[in-house]
Amino acid sequence: MTTAVSLANLTKTFGEHRAVDGLSFDVPAGSIFGLLGRNGAGKTTTIRMIMDILRPDTGTVTILGSADALAVKDRIGYLPEERGLYPKMKLTDMLEFAGSIKGMAVADARRAGAQWLDRLELGAWKDKKVEDLSKGMQQKVQFISAIMNKPDLLILDEPFSGMDPVNQEVFKDLILELNRTGCTIIFSTHVMESAEKLCREIALINHGRAVLHGPIAEIKKKFGTNTVQLEFDGDGSFLDGLPGVEKVHHGGHSAEIRLAQGADHQAILKAAVGRLVIRHFSVVSPTLHSIFIQQVGLEQGGNGNA
Amino acid sequence: MRKIMMVIRREYLQSVTKKSFWIGTLAFPLVLLLIMGLAVGAHFLNPESERRIAFIDETGQLAANMVAALNASDENKFKDGKPRFVVEAVPLTGTSEETRRSLEQKVLDEEIHGILVARQDLDPNAAFGLYLKSVGDEDTGRALRRALQSAVVQLRLERSQLELDRATLDSFVQPIELKSFEVKAGGEATEKDPGVAQIGMLIFSMILYITLFIYGFATARGIIQEKSSRVMEVLLGSMSHNQLITGKILGIAAVSLTQMIIYAGTAWAARLYIMLKQDPQRFSNVLELVAPGRIIFFLVFFLLGYFLYTSMFAIVGAVSNTEQDAQNLQTPVVMLLMIPYIMSVFFVKHPDSAAAVAASFFPPFTPMVMFMRISVLTPPFWQIALSIVLMLAAIWFMFRMAAKIFRIGSLMHGKRPTIPEILRWARS
Repeated sequence: MTTAVSLANLTKTFGEHRAVDGLSFDVPAGSIFGLLGRNGAGKTTTIRMIMDILRPDTGTVTILGSADALAVKDRIGYLPEERGLYPKMKLTDMLEFAGSIKGMAVADARRAGAQWLDRLELGAWKDKKVEDLSKGMQQKVQFISAIMNKPDLLILDEPFSGMDPVNQEVFKDLILELNRTGCTIIFSTHVMESAEKLCREIALINHGRAVLHGPIAEIKKKFGTNTVQLEFDGDGSFLDGLPGVEKVHHGGHSAEIRLAQGADHQAILKAAVGRLVIRHFSVVSPTLHSIFIQQVGLEQGGNGNA
Repeated sequence: MRKIMMVIRREYLQSVTKKSFWIGTLAFPLVLLLIMGLAVGAHFLNPESERRIAFIDETGQLAANMVAALNASDENKFKDGKPRFVVEAVPLTGTSEETRRSLEQKVLDEEIHGILVARQDLDPNAAFGLYLKSVGDEDTGRALRRALQSAVVQLRLERSQLELDRATLDSFVQPIELKSFEVKAGGEATEKDPGVAQIGMLIFSMILYITLFIYGFATARGIIQEKSSRVMEVLLGSMSHNQLITGKILGIAAVSLTQMIIYAGTAWAARLYIMLKQDPQRFSNVLELVAPGRIIFFLVFFLLGYFLYTSMFAIVGAVSNTEQDAQNLQTPVVMLLMIPYIMSVFFVKHPDSAAAVAASFFPPFTPMVMFMRISVLTPPFWQIALSIVLMLAAIWFMFRMAAKIFRIGSLMHGKRPTIPEILRWARS
């Protein structure tokens, strides 16, 4: 499998703060790759170094086979976390500009922009100024500007933050469609549910270091099938005290129970029956969310600030 | 290169399709024309308004000679040959002091333009006085002084009992015209009106000052807006920092050059019109003001100044998060711009002094001071060449600084960096 992006021993320090600390991972070509971590874990700094917007203190980035991101920027689509448009520009002009700085001919960029606006139901707005649009509409325009050059690599920094559920679905479908045509997708998020749905591979970073890295399936296998998903009516607070229970993530009328190695999940079920009205019981791999919390929690425990 | 072109294209189209650009472009020449029109128009609005001067002449012998002296000069006549000044001797009622008092109300009522007093003793320091509603009226003072001088000399000669015939006497008192010529190395000395050279220099310095400031600040504001609208990182996802800032500076340069070419074109159109349809002799002042050499030097020094100052303003923009920040941080840059503007007003009288020459070699001052010197004299070629070379070096240095600071500042939000931090960025 070829590699779309490869990071080797990347480090970046701002003043006293080490934002990225010896980070290495590969993004396989054609994959949907999740860059996961808490706010401030170093995701955006990493992405900016991949894009050569920031220079790393040490380490190297190889992107689409090139050591120089500038040389391949026309083949990359980039949606930064802090995204913006020129508020005073008309939509068609804005997209024409966005496409033309990605190497498209001006006329092609204009045509492609208009087609995308029609497709995303903004055709009626194409002669309006960006500032006249609602936030949701602006998000669509921003997304178009990132993908209109048919990129080989699409980098999305927190693409779903602040987005309504309808737009989230629209963009998720677009991302999957692009991926089917061979575009590698990297996206960063701290929302594990969206990563779990979309990604095949992830890198989980914390304090600028990769804590976990690899295909989601393998990572989950490593964490075993020692998790019980429970949905119920009643008060589930006693679950924490049951024998063999390591950790319970309570969710109101549901709970995700992590069991100790070798513990019997049927014992949990027996204990619950009679005290709760069970609606759903399943033995599963842990969710990315709980793996995340477990790993980051361990990290912080190890650092002594938990 | 293509990306730089695209940024230039966007900057250019965004600016020149804005109404404010055209309002600004047209407003400046209009305001200038209005000011000149008001100055010149004073003559045209009231073409036949002669100025009546009451002359309290204790000697009783000056008035007639003075009227003759006034009428001897074409400057004191209107186009149709009527006199500009009508001097009427008034009979004394009591002392000349009392007479003057009695006439002062007429001056205030604008029944007469002014009162001229000459005492019997003809003491050069104390005998003469001109009483006007406004002493800002320099023309009247100058014209009357020259005429009165002649009349007094004539009266003294008459009193001296020298035997002189009328013609000889007249030739003694005829005021002279002193014309100014500019000496040029290897060329014919050319007549230049010092007033035109000075006014021209002031107008062009003002245009330089205003446009360098406006376009410089527009650059800073553009960068701040790209930061605050968060479009900056989208742009940086498509190109390098250097491409972005180069395109931006060149794009706004193209806008400003468009404006300058509109100004120069208007000036040249006016020049052509005068040469073809009007009497070039009568408008020689205007022709000299917009002489091709002056306009070309103006454009050269405008562009050099533009690139230097815009690089400085780009630094201001890169380290500011709000326009408020930029207003505060631009102060040193505006100072650098203001000092040579004020200097050139003073140096215009001594354009070849060591201080003026030195100032014209200091790049931030070069555009205004060197242009001023070129306006009023012809500096040696090596001085012009050296000043341009130094400017180019300064532009190169400042642009590199701006690019480095921009690389770090472009994605900075929140706290404004301190000066030592900015310097560290520039060195990085």
